Amino acid sequence: MRDACREALDAAAGAGAAYADVRGVTRRSQTVATRDGRVETVGDLESEGIGVRVLVGGAWGFACDRRLDREGARAAAARACAFARAAAGRETRALAPVDVASGTYRTPLERDPFDVSLGDKIELCLAAERALAHADVKVTSASVRALRERKLLLTSDGAEIDQEIVECGGGIDALAAADGIVQIRSYPSAHGGSSAQSGWEYVEGLALEREAPRVAEQAAALLRADECPPLRTTLVLDAEQMGLQVHESIGHPIELDRVYGTEAAYAGTSFLKPGDLGSLRYGSPVMNVTADATTPGGLGTFAFDDEGVAAAREPIVAEGVLAGFLTSRETAARIGDGRGGSMRAEGWNRMPLVRMTNLHLEPGSGSFEELLDGVDEGVYLETNKSWSIDDKRLNFQFGTQIAWEIRAGKLGRMLRDATYTGITPVFWGSLDAVAGAEEWRLHGLTNCGKGQPGQVAHVSHGAAPARFRDVQVGVRA
Amino acid sequence: MTDALDLAGEAVAAAGADEVEALVHVERSGLARFAASDVHQPTLIENATVQLRVVRDGRVGWASTNRVSGDGLRAVAARAAEAADTAPRDPQFPGLAPPEPLPEIDGYDEETAALGPEELARTARLAIDAAADYDVYGFFTSGTTQLAVASSTGLEAEQRLTDATTLVIAAGEGASGYAEATASAARDVDAAAVAREAAAKAARTRGAQSLEPAPYRAVLEPYAVAELLDYFGYEAFNGLALLEGRSFLAGRLGERVFDDKVTIADDPLDLRALPKAFDFEGTPKRPVPLVEAGVARGCVWDRATAARAGEGQETTGHAPPFAYRSYGPLPVSLALEGGDAESTEELAERVGEGIYVTRLHYLSVVHPREGIVTGMTRDGTFRIRDGKVAEPLVNLRFTVAVPQMLADVPGLTREPKLVNRSDFYGERYPYGALCPALATARFTITGTGSEPGI
Repeated sequence: MRDACREALDAAAGAGAAYADVRGVTRRSQTVATRDGRVETVGDLESEGIGVRVLVGGAWGFACDRRLDREGARAAAARACAFARAAAGRETRALAPVDVASGTYRTPLERDPFDVSLGDKIELCLAAERALAHADVKVTSASVRALRERKLLLTSDGAEIDQEIVECGGGIDALAAADGIVQIRSYPSAHGGSSAQSGWEYVEGLALEREAPRVAEQAAALLRADECPPLRTTLVLDAEQMGLQVHESIGHPIELDRVYGTEAAYAGTSFLKPGDLGSLRYGSPVMNVTADATTPGGLGTFAFDDEGVAAAREPIVAEGVLAGFLTSRETAARIGDGRGGSMRAEGWNRMPLVRMTNLHLEPGSGSFEELLDGVDEGVYLETNKSWSIDDKRLNFQFGTQIAWEIRAGKLGRMLRDATYTGITPVFWGSLDAVAGAEEWRLHGLTNCGKGQPGQVAHVSHGAAPARFRDVQVGVRA
Repeated sequence: MTDALDLAGEAVAAAGADEVEALVHVERSGLARFAASDVHQPTLIENATVQLRVVRDGRVGWASTNRVSGDGLRAVAARAAEAADTAPRDPQFPGLAPPEPLPEIDGYDEETAALGPEELARTARLAIDAAADYDVYGFFTSGTTQLAVASSTGLEAEQRLTDATTLVIAAGEGASGYAEATASAARDVDAAAVAREAAAKAARTRGAQSLEPAPYRAVLEPYAVAELLDYFGYEAFNGLALLEGRSFLAGRLGERVFDDKVTIADDPLDLRALPKAFDFEGTPKRPVPLVEAGVARGCVWDRATAARAGEGQETTGHAPPFAYRSYGPLPVSLALEGGDAESTEELAERVGEGIYVTRLHYLSVVHPREGIVTGMTRDGTFRIRDGKVAEPLVNLRFTVAVPQMLADVPGLTREPKLVNRSDFYGERYPYGALCPALATARFTITGTGSEPGI
């Protein structure tokens, strides 16, 4: 792989590239999914190839080849340079300086998830499904996944970085139905569960089988729950939904490529402007957000990003004020601040983009119960079900699988079909408390879409339950 | 390019199993993505993947690779066999698809297949130059996709597809407009015309006004209709969701569910809409009536869900790729039949007072069983007053029950438009929806957002 990457760098330089980065990638993944007590899929997938990004005459070009050899490398480099030359425009791209580094990184783990047999993975899912059994639960499902990606990055600046990322995760779902009402409950989160950069000990720690009876009971109880009424009230969100709130209303708007409009045609732009750095009030003074590419277990953890910039932990919002963007070397040079460090590509056949690393809402203080203590009337929402936000990341609407009334500081009756809506800085301005570090949880999601052609990134968010005042809940069609 | 059917045959031979199926997916594509009228993400992709499904004594395992040498095929066969050996026997497995005659369709164009980086960049430049006073954001893409399925049942299926799309947002301060065009042949995609349509729309969006949240009568352009129908149909017309009671159609087949002007099918054989001959199991695709004159008629099926449904239900050729197996069979060739209106202006006349929506953004299904979907309007939202498209509006949040939206339809335009629905994730599989513009008596606005523009 190293020889192929060097060959690509040489070929790019020979074709006129002023800068090139080359990624040789091998990826293997396993997926086991069961549904209604039978195996739905047992899959073992692999993919490999080389991706070459070049700057020729100030214009980018990217091409790739599945052949991870010298011939494939030369071909990809030649096509990337040809595309850059053809696509030259009025802009000349500059890159922020980088401390050229060489190094290696490997996910710390106790038990390699690929050492766990497919048979054991199947049995784990089936056992969790058996524990979901309930008279009102009509569909049960469970899944686990594992991923290993080795990535060798060489740049024309001289960087040579060898990294191996290992991820695994899982989740369960129970779908209950009666009298035309359908409700779903998931653990540890919806949309495929939760993942971490870890060994199999993470999946064992999820304790899917142990949690399953509660999940099934709640799915069934939702069938008889009242619908969340429309009102303005105090809102408390669990750590999982807080993670998605952070993702959508902070993580994407602070991507500096979006701020500059390069994602406009698909995922959208941002309400933030480059000049907002250091001055824009994003939320209340209890709001502190950090981007951290070094978080143990985080899906956005690495030693170096796909431009060879070293991982770091950096403030994004400090006491409610915008303190940082997620950047590439190109966008950092353009804004004249930062150094890059957030560039990742989905695989060998996609161009790196500015992506979230691990983005956290820093904890406040106190327990979940203390958070509720401050609520005379309100609602508590748990586990994301639906999510939508506008192209500038201002107007959002989220729905959760389950909710409860809060009365005099205590959880009351269960509510179904709960939604809430708001405008990003107004909503974050209404944040008046975040629970403490003992309530802080890390959730890893594997479905963050961006780019054309589309790319899926894996990112993690840490958050504790949090409380917002005067929020509209219960949106009706 | 790699010959997909030959490769599928080699993979079947390498597996050496009594029951084996090989799916080969070959892609050669390019995408010139532009922002602020500059190409900034030019991407060329070449790949070939082999996916093997091995069945051993009723146990099913899958494996895939893009190492298509002899060694690579032997290794993937071993991993598929190992996966099968570890799986419990599946009494519901319906068996691999038998060989059947395939529909003869033509969705391949030699000129489009031959496009290289220079042509991609030149076409992007046509769009950039045509927008005149506006910066443009979007892309031009073209690609060739080969799909082949071979199996131990003697099945051999192969199709080559080409596709081309131009998508443009023309934008300036407080203004933006949208347009796109998709076809099997690049010559049928006029990039400059797309950019002019987007720029003309943008010119009408400056000075956008707010709007009180409430239900409104509305006209939706095909871009908006296609996206709403796609999100709704994902579960409503899905055989697995029907069996599990999640689908809006569960318990409603044979009932009148929409206005009698609404007829929806999944028609993979329509030559206007990136036609497909077979699904990811090699089963021939066939048109499926979903809603006829407002009456719910059916869903799409693959072999597993059809077998589970029983009562003579057959697969309709809608098996998804491996990565989407848990979603069940997916309708990816949706077609809404046109009506009797000659133009969107005529639809606005029928609406009288209401809103006009060009396109939508970031949809999410709030409640699948009720067909409730939320999202935002974007890049061209207007008030309709006295039957005319009037002042521009800010982006609006909508939360609609699609069945309510389709319950009272004052009209649809006569000619449907092919709207691209692929975001080009994973391996390229171009698809779109054929939709006319539509007028509805109820489109519920639940909030307001920002002005048009970037």
